[in-house]
Amino acid sequence: MSAYAPMFLLFAVGLLLVLAFFVGTSLLGPKNKGAEHQLPFECGSESTGGRHIRLSVKFYLTAILFVVFDIEAVFLYPWGVKFRSLGWSGLVSMLGFLSVLVVGLVYCWKKGALEWEK
Amino acid sequence: MSLWFALSPLIVLTFGGLGLMMADAFSKTRSDLALGSFLTFTSAGLFALALWIMGGVPAAVMLKVAPYIVLDKFTLFFTATICLGGAISSLLAGGYLPEHDIDRGEFYALMILAAIGAVLLAAAGDFLSLFIGLETMSLGVYCMTGFRRTNPRSAEGALKYFLLGSFAAALMLYGGALIYGATGSTSIEGIRTALTSGEFGTLRDPSRLATVVIAMVLVLVGLAFKISAVPFHMWTPDAYQGAPTPATAFMSVVVKAAAVATMMRVLLVAFGDKASSSWSSGWPPVIAGMAVLTMLVANFIALRQENVKRMLAYSSIAHAGYLLVGMVAAWGQGNEIVAGEGRAALLFYMLQYTVTQAGAFGALILCGSKGKEAVTYEDLAGLGRRHPGAALPFALFIISLAGVPPTAGFFGKLYLFRAAVDGGFTWLAIIGLLNSALGAYYYLRVLVFLYMKEPAPGAAQATPMKSGYIYGALAIAAALVLYFGILPGKALEMAASAGKSLGAKIEVREVPTKMPDTATAALP
Amino acid sequence: MMDFWLERIYFGVCAAMAIAGAIGTVAFPNPIRGAMSLLFTIVAIAGMYLQLHAPFLAAIQLIVYAGAVVVLFLFVIMLIGPAATATRDARGLLARAIGGLAASAVSLQIILVLSRKVFARVPVAQGGFGSIESIGDLLFGEYLVPFEISSFLLMIAIVGAVAVARGKQPDPQLADEGETKAPKPTAEAHP
Repeated sequence: MSAYAPMFLLFAVGLLLVLAFFVGTSLLGPKNKGAEHQLPFECGSESTGGRHIRLSVKFYLTAILFVVFDIEAVFLYPWGVKFRSLGWSGLVSMLGFLSVLVVGLVYCWKKGALEWEK
Repeated sequence: MSLWFALSPLIVLTFGGLGLMMADAFSKTRSDLALGSFLTFTSAGLFALALWIMGGVPAAVMLKVAPYIVLDKFTLFFTATICLGGAISSLLAGGYLPEHDIDRGEFYALMILAAIGAVLLAAAGDFLSLFIGLETMSLGVYCMTGFRRTNPRSAEGALKYFLLGSFAAALMLYGGALIYGATGSTSIEGIRTALTSGEFGTLRDPSRLATVVIAMVLVLVGLAFKISAVPFHMWTPDAYQGAPTPATAFMSVVVKAAAVATMMRVLLVAFGDKASSSWSSGWPPVIAGMAVLTMLVANFIALRQENVKRMLAYSSIAHAGYLLVGMVAAWGQGNEIVAGEGRAALLFYMLQYTVTQAGAFGALILCGSKGKEAVTYEDLAGLGRRHPGAALPFALFIISLAGVPPTAGFFGKLYLFRAAVDGGFTWLAIIGLLNSALGAYYYLRVLVFLYMKEPAPGAAQATPMKSGYIYGALAIAAALVLYFGILPGKALEMAASAGKSLGAKIEVREVPTKMPDTATAALP
Repeated sequence: MMDFWLERIYFGVCAAMAIAGAIGTVAFPNPIRGAMSLLFTIVAIAGMYLQLHAPFLAAIQLIVYAGAVVVLFLFVIMLIGPAATATRDARGLLARAIGGLAASAVSLQIILVLSRKVFARVPVAQGGFGSIESIGDLLFGEYLVPFEISSFLLMIAIVGAVAVARGKQPDPQLADEGETKAPKPTAEAHP
């Protein structure tokens, strides 16, 4: 576990920093209390509609394609680290794996799944 | 034999699927994806048959991909069955999708990739590849169910199927993890070895046995879900009804075939040891109970259906019950001969069910056309007189589903129940027979509507569609239904041989080499 | 001695976080809070992987699950409309009660069984186990076949996403509805 000590130190520093900012602003920042302050500021126009908006399905498509290719990239790390010792057989196995996914990439490219405006 | 040839069914499916995707993405004009998909399935099936005729894959080649992919005759049999179901379904899709304005090429890619998952599932000799195959197949089928996204029924069916399916898959994964923890192995063969020998063979620690039992139950739940056995059938009617009919055909035959194959491998091989497969402390009574429950519930609910597609969904559940009877027969109380007969009967039943059920859905597609799909019994009224050509295939498949000679369904049921009787499960066979009689009632109702009823005056009538693809699919299915119904010998023989190869140890027999060992001779 | 207690405390913190997150995931009525609780669980499990000497797995857990999958969940929740929380209804109360009982019984049984020492004696992990190098060796050696076939799984996810989320739909009016004129969020109906 001690090998990870620097990492945990980093976590701790990050956490402290965030806490410090929050506490700092609430201590040091100017405080305006009053009804005016609570009003939503929207360039003079009354705010309308619900609190939530619905996102387009495009976001979902992009996100799931991202997940798929993210997982693909994950497999590249161990291969890259062991690239030399795996030799040609490793290269061939990785090419076999990738070629299937490259077809998938070309497919969604041609299908227009990567385009935003359509 | 090279590894490439041994894996050729999978490779053909892969290249076919990827090729179709590229054709779909690149071609400017509509390309004939249905035909391409049909040819892919057919050639993959033929490669499996070729491997079979050459005497199966030699052990030395099998060992290269074992235990993840087991290329025994059992796998080849199921590969051929899956490809048959896929081929019929792709022809059905070729007729159905354009007719109902959902003609998108993704359907074929999904179907072939899902079939790859199904083949992997049937071939999986290890929980790792089993799970990958299961998920590949399931994801494809979920998407096919929800293919008609804007149709609320399609979306509802897909969502139910997806949520319950992922839950079942998670349970199965947990079962696999537990069994790995208890035996230290994920491979079917390794689990078997661990359970029959060493600490487990002379098992004295009840808590570890309990772990195995819990794992077994969890895995069983996952598989029972996939073959839609009661009480894990809740999703089936909605998913089958909501899905585009070719997808329903694909689901009800290919998914079931792959799940039956896995169930056989997991229960008969991995959990085939004395303790796990005894009547007093193992899985057989659970399977038998589930079989009875499945047959009764499905048949009674099917009686009350007014929608033919939904009736066929319940009929598919009922057939899962018959398959489970076969599962008990395939266990055969550990008696080799009885079990062999049971395995053969189960495999033959699966094969004939594939052509019959896919054909029945195809016939249902044929009876409707754009704007008016045939879904209720009323829609079928009088078709026998108005369109005898459309009614005749439907009648044939319905007769086969009911199990009336001279169709494949008759021999399927005959062998199955005979194997159950021989295995000492006369009571199970009797319940099965009574249920078949019950089933005959709602199957015959289709015939009554086809040939003896007239449509209500003024009701919108479904007119049969015209499509060469559908005719082709029905011709293939009908020919096979009659072939298995009149000359079942060859198929039964293959089923017996496939059943025998299940669980056989993959060993390379020492072949004396004639070649002088020059490498060592040259050394000083 | 110091290390021993540190490890115990570390595990305790991670486990508590994971369980709290899991309870939050199912208990929060607001789906976005549920997704955030899931994030909590995922991070805690990554911490446990670290303790199990699987740093690569921990990193993957953070990159893929925390970084991508939870974001995907959030997109889907936003797609459906985050305000579309389920209304409470008494339907299926009996079924739910039976289901809850059955689930508790099974969990209890599992806990009882696992609380004994039931697992096969697997050899103690060698140094370097779980490192990225050893995973590379296993992935491209012993587990090459499952690795190769997992490409199909990723592939079908791509095709499935394209099939479900894109493509012509028979009824353009219905198909566009989700994107342009979203129906009023149901939040106003039940404040």
